[in-house]
Amino acid sequence: MGTKEAVKRNQSSMQVLKTLQLLLEDNYTMSELIHKLNANEKEPVFNNSVVSKYINTCRFCGLDIPKIHNKYFVASLPFGIDLSARELDLIEELQNAVKNTMSSKADGAFNDFLEKLSKYSNKKIIRVEQKTKQQAFELFDKAVAEKRRINLLFRAKAVFECIPLRIVEKKGKTCFNVIHDGKEKTISAERISGLEIMDRRFKQPDSNSTQEVVFKLTGGLAQRYSLKENEELYKKELPESITVINRGENKEDLFARLLRYDSSCEILQPAHYREEMKSLIEEMLRNYEA
Amino acid sequence: MFKIADKTELNQISLTGVRGIVLAGLLIMQPRSLEEIRKAFIELNIMENENSDDILRIDLNTLKIMGCEISRASAKTGFKYVLGKHPFAFKIDDEEIGLLKKAYNQAKTHTDMLGILSYDDLFRKIASRVCEEDKKEALLGISILKRYDIEMLKDLLLDCSQGRTLNLVYKKPSSTSEESKEVVAQKLVFQNDKVYLYGFDLEKKDSVVLLVNRIKSILSRKLEKVELEQNATKIRFTMEASSFTELKDGEVILDSQDGTFVVEGNYHNDFLAMQRVLSLGSKCVVTEPVEFKNAIITKLKEMRDSYGN
Repeated sequence: MGTKEAVKRNQSSMQVLKTLQLLLEDNYTMSELIHKLNANEKEPVFNNSVVSKYINTCRFCGLDIPKIHNKYFVASLPFGIDLSARELDLIEELQNAVKNTMSSKADGAFNDFLEKLSKYSNKKIIRVEQKTKQQAFELFDKAVAEKRRINLLFRAKAVFECIPLRIVEKKGKTCFNVIHDGKEKTISAERISGLEIMDRRFKQPDSNSTQEVVFKLTGGLAQRYSLKENEELYKKELPESITVINRGENKEDLFARLLRYDSSCEILQPAHYREEMKSLIEEMLRNYEA
Repeated sequence: MFKIADKTELNQISLTGVRGIVLAGLLIMQPRSLEEIRKAFIELNIMENENSDDILRIDLNTLKIMGCEISRASAKTGFKYVLGKHPFAFKIDDEEIGLLKKAYNQAKTHTDMLGILSYDDLFRKIASRVCEEDKKEALLGISILKRYDIEMLKDLLLDCSQGRTLNLVYKKPSSTSEESKEVVAQKLVFQNDKVYLYGFDLEKKDSVVLLVNRIKSILSRKLEKVELEQNATKIRFTMEASSFTELKDGEVILDSQDGTFVVEGNYHNDFLAMQRVLSLGSKCVVTEPVEFKNAIITKLKEMRDSYGN
């Protein structure tokens, strides 16, 4: 009985491993997977629900298996090749060398090679290109969720270690909103060649996602102001004023919004936000001085 | 590497399948003993403490049936299971290796020493996931550093960054015998597919450029910094802008007029400065210092003379 059960359990493990092996080789639709897996069986044992279960088993183990254009593929292996930011940069240099000095056939072959290499990497790192952009955004969101720092690799070769905040749209372009060197930055994804999740986590207080901005609203606005999702009331001195704590709003968006509140609004903290707002207003004034 | 299993989720998946993948992953990363595998499985919540090791042996057999070559855990392997060939290895063909090599040969011409070392690390990392020995060797063979002692290069980089004095044994290209030298390490340079150590020879009291693959051994290192009376070779030259493709380390453009650059260059010694100026050909004219200008004239005359009048 025990032996019979053990063999049975082995079979299931083998079938999961066969599914993984196939997915590492190429990208397949569900029906292609079922067809290929059954091809080596005496009688069909793989069907939609079985293969779905096995894909879920792989995913449960940390394998990233997205389904894009109806095809499943391995996007990263938790025990895959651990490529660093520097190595990603080198791969890009190799890719450029092929692109600039070899035939388009060689360029295509090299891209296929990189796609294969990417399946076997643990993809804490990703090249940001047109076709991998979506995966890069997913990786960014993962870093935000896991509170891990990231390295952004610029096409101009610089590397910024950042705290990821969110993905935002700015002038029709998708951008990474991050904190670098203590300052919030919004960087267009087009300027980025690679993204790496680091092992180092960021602490809650370090993050601009919890950057507290305290501002005071007075007059009629104080009475009618509706708190946003990321805000809480710090002090209520109605009818004169209310003091609000805002957490994690994109700085540019927040400034634009608070400017709209004109003299009814005053940033109290942090000091550098207060100073920046002051400078911004002075700059706007200078536009009219000439 | 793997997440701890939440038992409520295990109904939706195959537990033995999870064990199979985790075991493959553990062995791909490094050889493991039965105890280490057991410990990892228990920590990941995919095996109970009271379960027998037979479960693990069945899992190992499953991998073997799948095509994994797993050695016996014997004294020879430190009682660890070692994974040999397996179906989850990174597969690379000769064409891809050839393409990588061509790309590397292009890219390395614009790369410094750190870059060359990083490329070497990259090829090693990829090769570590390839099972076929011939492919693995071919991958490692791409690196220009394949015949260098990588640890020595890394040590020399550190020596240079800290200006350490090295007592080393060197075999001159022009000599068959070895000689011992006391050299202050200053810079490790990758140039023309070779690695050079720029330094200061304390005995000769002069700048020196050594081929690293001719350094036979480093006998000792002195950590304290030595005050050197060494002046880099500083020159100025003019260069037709349209012919000037790139500035080298230590060069700056001081002025630009009528399609001509005035460049100031700082080089490790006169020899390297001379090499640089000569390499720029007829569009480059040295203006300062007069001594160096004269040295170039002398050198050019020598060169002309070697072709005969």
